[in-house]
Amino acid sequence: MPETSKEKLKALYGLPEQVIFCKRCVMSNQRPASIPEFKHLPDRRGATYLHMDEEGVCDACRYAEKKEKMDWKKREQELLKLLDRFRLNDGSYDCIVPGSGGKDSAYAVHLLKYKYGMHPLTVTWPPTLYTDYGWKNFRNWIEVGGFDNVTFKPNGRVHRLLTKLSIENLLHPFQTFILGQKNFAPKIALQYKIPLIFYGENEAEYGNPIADNQKSLRDKSYYSTGNLNEIFLGGVSIPELIEKHQLSSNDLKAYLPAEHQELEAFPIEVHYLGYYLKWTPQEAYYYAVEHTGFEARPFRSEGTYSKYNSIDDKIDDLHYYTTYIKFGLGRASYDASQEIRNSHLTREEGVALVQRFDGEFPKRYFQEVIDYLEIKPDEFFQLCDRFRSPHLWHKENGRWELRHKVS
Amino acid sequence: MTSIRIIPRLDIKGPNVVKGIHMEGLRVLGKPEDFAHYYYESGADELIYMDAVASLYGRNSLLDVIEKTSRDIFIPLTVGGGLRTLDDIRTVLRAGADKVSINTAAIRHPEFISEAAKAFGSSTIVVSIEAIRKPNGRYEAYIDYGRESTGVDAVEWAVRAAQLGAGELIVTSIDREGTGKGFDLELTRKISDSVSIPVIASGGAGKLSDILSVITQGRADAVSIASLLHYDAVQRLEPRRDDFSEEGNIEFLKHKMVFLKSGVASLPDIKEYLTSHGLECRYPEKKSARDL
Repeated sequence: MPETSKEKLKALYGLPEQVIFCKRCVMSNQRPASIPEFKHLPDRRGATYLHMDEEGVCDACRYAEKKEKMDWKKREQELLKLLDRFRLNDGSYDCIVPGSGGKDSAYAVHLLKYKYGMHPLTVTWPPTLYTDYGWKNFRNWIEVGGFDNVTFKPNGRVHRLLTKLSIENLLHPFQTFILGQKNFAPKIALQYKIPLIFYGENEAEYGNPIADNQKSLRDKSYYSTGNLNEIFLGGVSIPELIEKHQLSSNDLKAYLPAEHQELEAFPIEVHYLGYYLKWTPQEAYYYAVEHTGFEARPFRSEGTYSKYNSIDDKIDDLHYYTTYIKFGLGRASYDASQEIRNSHLTREEGVALVQRFDGEFPKRYFQEVIDYLEIKPDEFFQLCDRFRSPHLWHKENGRWELRHKVS
Repeated sequence: MTSIRIIPRLDIKGPNVVKGIHMEGLRVLGKPEDFAHYYYESGADELIYMDAVASLYGRNSLLDVIEKTSRDIFIPLTVGGGLRTLDDIRTVLRAGADKVSINTAAIRHPEFISEAAKAFGSSTIVVSIEAIRKPNGRYEAYIDYGRESTGVDAVEWAVRAAQLGAGELIVTSIDREGTGKGFDLELTRKISDSVSIPVIASGGAGKLSDILSVITQGRADAVSIASLLHYDAVQRLEPRRDDFSEEGNIEFLKHKMVFLKSGVASLPDIKEYLTSHGLECRYPEKKSARDL
């Protein structure tokens, strides 16, 4: 594009100025690695983005390569050793599996309990707004799959306010859910004295730094912090939330990570089952259908072609719409890249799917979601425009267009 | 009484037979040629090849498979997926298909049905209706392999398609497809009661009695079956030398897994069962007669 070469366009959020798409999948170097949400500020300082190597291949595709060559038998032996170290046969729980009853958590906990003889407690930080399918899948997970579950329902007024702030300040409707998802399990582990937590799929598969993957033990920085002053929710500091928004420390407690001292006193190991077992999301889908009564939505999610990924929260679709605004990557980009890496799709098919579905506006639940958050549609669209990085977007005939599209 | 046709349905993506649930999560089960021959040999009345992603990607790519199989398979072959023009239809028929199935293009331009019927004869034109049940009990037609809603009422559309000259309808419940929970009897019944052309029921067969129900209660004239037959066939077919690594989810094949949600049955199992319940089925002629 001529204007790109003439003038240097500003890149927000520390995004790489030059947009590069991976040669194997359809991800670009604009894909954010996850950052600890309580350090998430509007300028995303400290954020890192998907690394492309000198051959133009992204870290996630490189990981997929390793996954194919991995000695999974050996990894399973490692798992058996780990489980032997923690398994309790005295009636107590010996591990925690966080989840919502989606295909991945269903697969993980069912294997742990019914194949490997563990005694898991499932813990759930529920979606902000359950879809009908999500609610049914959650119920089936527990009822059909057969697990004990602790669900925590946060204060609705506080949750709405924080979710609204995370949209206004970070254009990040999913933050409150992510916070809960990451912080809740360790806190329950401390409370119930269960020293082992299992997440399912490893995030490194999606392009968090490869180093994360070398050891399956999850970096504690994701869920604990020593200093309350370093904590932000919805991009607002704790003192400001208390002062300006009339919240009490009790209101905020549910969103904060576990206390550092408590974790020191009772060490918890956090592992990814995806480190030990080859994780194929599509087979997790079949497994969940067969064992825990999981059902895909018969219709596809807006913004993508897929019917079974992240279908439990009405805010999901909006979340991926905001990643499209901020990083130029919508839900089809994420779904297709994953399927290309698992060789379920060719790159050509992935490109076609992205061109067709990425960035489709999520109208199905939009009104309900913004009504719930007390945001007006116009306000939301103005916010979106504010969050478009000039190096990604330009206006053509009065319409916003991405400067760089995968091809 | 006319005999009930049992029609294995092969959903094909690229070089492979695939199978999903609600048309999602497409597992590779094998090569179309292998399945087609096996079903022909074991007494299929017809075959359906459906290019799973043709409309989604705007391509059609079954010619190769049609040519490879039609030479030595002597039962009617219906081919669908991504057919948009009369030329598309002509090409597929020339390659060896006996009938074509149209969904997306017909919904976008209903007159395409009458043009096609005029050019190739009604008996060549099958309209495929893929529907999702809505909370109000009505059925909505979907296009693009169950991915795009149309706002079109499936039953009204069936009537219209018949008026426009469709020779047959294949009616798929996306809600039931791949689940093994049985056919959507109401959907099938509503449509077969509204049209006089034959209705092929599709989507949901998980056990033999499901097939009987969709004929007796759903009033289907023919039944299209995938999982129930495929998960049986995949155990019987000779393993292939090719590694299938080109594309597709091959975990199922690689690890010789089983699918727990659907039962398994062979074509003789199905026909024997239906016959024992008083229905008429066609049994394959003696091989020698055909070899002449």
